[in-house]
Amino acid sequence: MKPFRFGINARDARSRAEWQDKARKIEALGYSTLMVPDHLWPVLAPIPALVSAAAATTTLRVGTNVINNDLRHPVVLAREAATVDLLTDGRLELGLGAGYVRSEYDQAGLRFDRGGVRVERLAESLTIVKELLRGAEVNFAGQHYRVAGHKIHPLPIQRPHPPIMIGGNGPRLLTLAAKEADTVNFTGITFARGGTEHDMSAWKVPAIDERMRLVREAAGERFDSLELSAQIQRVIATDNRRQTAEELVKTWPQLTAEEILESPYVLIGTLDEMVEALHARRERWGLSYFVTFDPLLEALAPIVARLAGK
Amino acid sequence: MKPFRFGINARDAGSRAEWQDKARRVEGLGYSALMVPDHLAAMLAPIPAAVSAAAATKSLRVGTNVLNNDFRHPVLVAREAATADLLSDGRFELGLGAGHMRSENDQAGLPFERGGVRLERLAEAVAIIKGLLGGAEVTFVGQHYRVTGHTIHPGPVQRPYPPIIIGGNGPRLLTRGGWGPRTSACGSCEKPPVRESKSSS
Repeated sequence: MKPFRFGINARDARSRAEWQDKARKIEALGYSTLMVPDHLWPVLAPIPALVSAAAATTTLRVGTNVINNDLRHPVVLAREAATVDLLTDGRLELGLGAGYVRSEYDQAGLRFDRGGVRVERLAESLTIVKELLRGAEVNFAGQHYRVAGHKIHPLPIQRPHPPIMIGGNGPRLLTLAAKEADTVNFTGITFARGGTEHDMSAWKVPAIDERMRLVREAAGERFDSLELSAQIQRVIATDNRRQTAEELVKTWPQLTAEEILESPYVLIGTLDEMVEALHARRERWGLSYFVTFDPLLEALAPIVARLAGK
Repeated sequence: MKPFRFGINARDAGSRAEWQDKARRVEGLGYSALMVPDHLAAMLAPIPAAVSAAAATKSLRVGTNVLNNDFRHPVLVAREAATADLLSDGRFELGLGAGHMRSENDQAGLPFERGGVRLERLAEAVAIIKGLLGGAEVTFVGQHYRVTGHTIHPGPVQRPYPPIIIGGNGPRLLTRGGWGPRTSACGSCEKPPVRESKSSS
């Protein structure tokens, strides 16, 4: 069983001072990682933001959650990841995803292929990125990329490569993650129709069991070395879990209050109840890494204080 | 007459400590800027290296000399430049070039177009990047890029945008007027001129 660790998805700041204060606070509260998403929204660009966060801290790990594979060529991505790892003294965790928000593609004039093609492209990219980070001279001829006799230098500090996290919810992506990633991040939500519709059905316990079975099967022998994480959407301290969950049904009408309480994507209750819930989720599903968003960093902090590293 | 200033193109380091020591030395010697090239060769990746150099120094300007326009989409370049400028307290200089080494494009499986096409693409990219860094909602329909209703936030510290350096040696690149519709529309506003550096990357 892996020790608990916690991460924050941080997205924005108005100045260098504010961003670096946020990074120091996340480190001081006991979080393991600060991660930056990669959207064409009002958020910082991840690569420079990570370097700046690491420069303001001493042990905090920094990561992407997640790089949209379609926004960068894998050769460029591998080079940037290696430099970030080198210049953060080996603190990078490289999160990759297939991209899912159609409006971003439309704005940038990029073709939004169907999910299967985007995942296939991510798989090719992942092969190239891993081999380059390892120090190999890469020759690759795929459906989407062609690399001829390329190698990168300097290499990352973490060998053979910085931990790779793949986040998503669909079976194709989770299968790829199980086979190739170091951390599989269960995001829980399927953003259908180019990101405009939220399908919450994967929050239900049977759907999670099914995804875990899929990941275990696809991972085979490497399953025990995989780290499994879940992306938490709400942290609500309350003496009345039931009532809080019933109120949340208004937000997520696809779910019952009971289903919300059982889902690993929320934490609701007293501190003891939340701590107990995380133990139960690790026992049942092997989830040991929990990631949430920066507005919740104070709310999750008491739990981090109790469980980080345990 | 502009005052003299000097910059160093720095490319490599074996560790964070070595890289940041180099940045402090460049600053200590009175250089204005530390710049990082963008080649698929044995050197650091420019944007993270520039941010790390800024983190180790106080007033040194940091930049790219130059980003190969063919390696990144201009929307991404604008976003990364804005973040690099914000997180270096306004010390970023964005150098852009059209790309010139066929072997790099070959290695990455990218088509290497003739110079005129690469230059045309750079001109379109510059127009998009300037518009985005300037805070505009950009809609652009070119031969090479199509951007629809995109804005970036947070923007850079330097307004309207960080200095843009265009580096090269060919007459088309050095003499080309305008650099896209947004530049030519800018004669009467306070946007800084495009700096055309004759040093080759």
